[in-house]
Amino acid sequence: MSTRELRGAAETAPRMRSENLDRRDRANLLRYMMLMRASEERALTLYRQGKVPGSFYDGRGQEAISVGSSFVLGPRDRMCILHRDLGAHFVRGVTPERYLANFMGRAGGVTRGREGNMHFGDWRLGCIGMVSMLPDMAAVATGLALTFKMRREPRVAMTYFGEGSTANGQWHEAMNFAGIHRLPVVFMLENNKFAYSTPNELEFAVDPVERAAGYGFPGVSVDGNDVEAVFEAARVAVDRARAGDGPTLIECHTMRMHGHGAHDDMSYVPKELFEEWEQRDPIASYTAQLIADHGFTEAEIDELRESVKSEVDEGARLALAQPMPEPGEAVEGVYADEWQPLGDGNAPWSRWRDTAPVNGKGRVS
Amino acid sequence: MSSSRTETLVEVTMPQMGVSVAEGMIVAWRKHPGDWVEADETVCDISTDKIDTEIPSPASGRLVEILVQENETVTVGTLLATIDTGAQPGQAHAVESNGHAAAPEPQPEPNGSPDRSHVISPVVRRIAGEHGVDLSQVKGTGIGGRIRKKDVLAFIEAGPAQERPLHTESPYRPEPAPAPAQAQEESTGSERRMPLTPMRRQIAEHMLRSKRTAAHVTTFAEVDMSRVVARRAELKERFAARGVPLTYLAFVARATVAALQDQPVLNASIDGDDLVYHGDVNLGIAVALEDGLIVPVIPRAQHLSLEGIAAAIGDVSTRARSKQLVAEDVQGGTFTITNPGQFGTTLATPIINQPQVAILDLEAVVKRAVVVDGPEGDSIAIRPMVNVCLSFDHRALDGAEAARFLGAVKARLEQWADDA
Amino acid sequence: MSEMTYLEAISDGLREEMRRDDSVFCLGEDIGVFGGAFKVTAGFHEEFGAERVLDMPLAENIIIGAAVGAAVEGMRPVCEMQFADFIACGFDQLVNVAAKLHYRQGVAVPMVVRLPTGGGFSGGPFHSQNPEAWFLQAPGLKVVAPATAEDAKGLLVSAIRDPNPVMFLEHKHLYRRIRGDVPEGEHTVPIGEARVVRAGGELSVFAYGSTVAMAQQAAEELDEDIEVVDLRTLCPLDRDTILASARKTGKVLIAHEATRSCGVGAEVAALIGEEAFEDLDAPVRRLTAPDVPIPFSPPLEQHVLPGLDDMKEAARELLAY
Repeated sequence: MSTRELRGAAETAPRMRSENLDRRDRANLLRYMMLMRASEERALTLYRQGKVPGSFYDGRGQEAISVGSSFVLGPRDRMCILHRDLGAHFVRGVTPERYLANFMGRAGGVTRGREGNMHFGDWRLGCIGMVSMLPDMAAVATGLALTFKMRREPRVAMTYFGEGSTANGQWHEAMNFAGIHRLPVVFMLENNKFAYSTPNELEFAVDPVERAAGYGFPGVSVDGNDVEAVFEAARVAVDRARAGDGPTLIECHTMRMHGHGAHDDMSYVPKELFEEWEQRDPIASYTAQLIADHGFTEAEIDELRESVKSEVDEGARLALAQPMPEPGEAVEGVYADEWQPLGDGNAPWSRWRDTAPVNGKGRVS
Repeated sequence: MSSSRTETLVEVTMPQMGVSVAEGMIVAWRKHPGDWVEADETVCDISTDKIDTEIPSPASGRLVEILVQENETVTVGTLLATIDTGAQPGQAHAVESNGHAAAPEPQPEPNGSPDRSHVISPVVRRIAGEHGVDLSQVKGTGIGGRIRKKDVLAFIEAGPAQERPLHTESPYRPEPAPAPAQAQEESTGSERRMPLTPMRRQIAEHMLRSKRTAAHVTTFAEVDMSRVVARRAELKERFAARGVPLTYLAFVARATVAALQDQPVLNASIDGDDLVYHGDVNLGIAVALEDGLIVPVIPRAQHLSLEGIAAAIGDVSTRARSKQLVAEDVQGGTFTITNPGQFGTTLATPIINQPQVAILDLEAVVKRAVVVDGPEGDSIAIRPMVNVCLSFDHRALDGAEAARFLGAVKARLEQWADDA
Repeated sequence: MSEMTYLEAISDGLREEMRRDDSVFCLGEDIGVFGGAFKVTAGFHEEFGAERVLDMPLAENIIIGAAVGAAVEGMRPVCEMQFADFIACGFDQLVNVAAKLHYRQGVAVPMVVRLPTGGGFSGGPFHSQNPEAWFLQAPGLKVVAPATAEDAKGLLVSAIRDPNPVMFLEHKHLYRRIRGDVPEGEHTVPIGEARVVRAGGELSVFAYGSTVAMAQQAAEELDEDIEVVDLRTLCPLDRDTILASARKTGKVLIAHEATRSCGVGAEVAALIGEEAFEDLDAPVRRLTAPDVPIPFSPPLEQHVLPGLDDMKEAARELLAY
């Protein structure tokens, strides 16, 4: 599909209805978004209770982006996940317990206390954790994609960055390199209106999605609060990449509903903007969509919600019971003794679910 | 001596080696006036009632003077020697200094560069310290006359100063007087006079005192050791595999300890007008040494099995002969067993080991023809027989008690059962 | 064995590894068709193809960052900075992503960054630097600096096989001026081991890169009992060899072309002061460039870079101390 067609598909359908999702997929999409919301609410509570050292970041209001896009990936695909994309971690197989434990600096957190809040990625699930400098992981993602291309493997790398980091020279370097070599990488751009307190108009003169063409590949705009729209856009981009047609930039329009961190009261945001985007809450609107268009009952939704709640409660209980790491460990692990391959992530989408894994590797159909 | 030096003198005194020890004798001085002594280095050898040992130096410094000579006996706490901790290794002895107490004046170099002969680098200081080098004697070839590492190393290799001694600098060092024990062997052919060794004198004193204190009576029993001999044959290899030597003495000790528990008056002491019953059986085993005897104690022997007692006897005997006993090893005994029978004697009247009230003597095991009771009446049999001789203090107990005890020991041995 | 220049040895090691293991590939500017600014990769493009000898855009962060991504997935990238100075343009990816990934996430990053270092040819401030001290302050990086052709090949091969990011400092001055016998075929030199080049008892000279040959020459011309130690690895330092030599001689001179403050010399001097104080017969001295950018005009540059006469003077002073 050409860029024009992609953009057309995204913009004309008020509420995307994907042809590529079955009922179970839809339930999963909602569940993962709920899991992200509930986990982050719980983490924020723990933060306010003084259990979380350092700073607190969440992606409230942006759940559809990470869930919808990561849902597309097969087990052998790879991700570099950012701080508003907890849903992607969950889709790949991280549990609420390990997420919460990481925030609390516990021995069983994903980084065992080495890194805080969202600076994590479970390599055993094929995820590379972020650094604070943005958008550094975009460069790393091109490296992963370069490897897939060199080895002629039908695998894709997916990475996220905010609209602010498109101002950085490294964004240009990554986009440029990906375009030169038509690398199998999908760039998810989360435009949530503010980079900390800096609005779009002070971050760039031209919308980043327009600039993709300058690097030689399509830029697509989607409603970042419509999970099926995000899913579809990502699906098309991932299939393109897997087929050897190169990168795609997908700009997801959304709104950051909480501050840059819990320490930020967002007083620089006009109240009307909040109210407008409250109406477009991704979880509430998808719930309504599932009931209205896909025959889901209130009871089913409640059941989903309950199961998410108990999963998060259990995760919190387990995370709180974890010890802190041994102080002496602080000086260990600077060097590696050997390289190990990354593990594969979970792939709950029906396309992967229905293909029997061969030696743990999913088949591309 | 300058006044500053008296404040740095450390005393070496006669130590108290055990609660009841009141005095000690200097056997030999290992360090002499003028010698450098390191902390913990042995200063002299001493001998006490309880034990022979060494005195380690309380500090590092130079030994100034010795106040008690070899073979002198002094009370605990007596000042024996002094050490000057203010001295430095390599410094001139008072005896060598010719009265020049001050350090040499720094000599300005002829070319005008500052004198650095006093600058001592870390490695030079360390090497000088290790070898006791007097740095004022070392010529420095570094800048400004600084003593370099190679300079101090060369000094050590070359040995002491090559300069010719002055009239007042003599190589003489005072030596200890020769030990009296090695002295006069007058070759008359008929009579030889040797002074009593410290141990001999101690034993002499103890034995006399015991005889003067206790009302000694000795009672004897003949014991048929066949069961013991058989049992020993059965157990010997097994014990030996575990490193435990099994002797007849071990059997007798075990039987004695068991009997003492039934008749505690034999495990007691007289203290003034009181008879003190001891809670534990701390069994003394007399061990013959080259120059005398010593009685190491096996504490709480009542808890030991046959194997335990055998192991303990082996251990204290070995340590006694290799002079590895410490003060505690010879203290606190409540009953003593002696075993001269290994030499073939058959009867003895041992002297009680004060402040105990009895001592058991085990004589030689000898095969004899004896009359034994059989199903067809009396007959003659050949049995390994041994005499056990119990000397007891008639102040504490009477003949009947003693006889009953000795009879119990005999019965236990003749009807040997391991757990009896 | 085969006699070759320092530069040829680097090529040889890289070529051998690329033949042995097809996960080894090169990224850098002008390394493909052009064969590299210093011709280290001449002929590689023909032998290994454009994919494995990747001509990168003028963008050091993506050179390093893409290498990180590739290394994480099991490739063995060998990045080339055209001049060591340009590592500054890729510094973020190097110290924040590459160096810390294992400590933070348990992910090994087996990559090499080759850095042509050093001055002496009027390259000016941006083509003459010796930036190793920057890397010593980024835990997670290893740093090697060969001084001979044999070590250039051996250390490069070890660096490629190491599962950590290794900074490979190749001194430009040595490229064609140093020749030596280099073992053919597989040849590795362990990372973390210094080498006593010349044994002596009166003075230890610790050097690396361009100062090793200089130290040997100074020792020979002075005809003194001087020990010369080639550090070879700057991080992790071979503490045992360094301390053994310092304790033996009691006098230490550390010589490097990099600027003075907080350099490798400062680190080695502190180590010796801490661990071998009682064996010192003289203060530990350093012979380095002063804390200035390297100037362009020859008399200025020569004044700043440590030379043979400076080395001999420093050695003489310490021997006499």
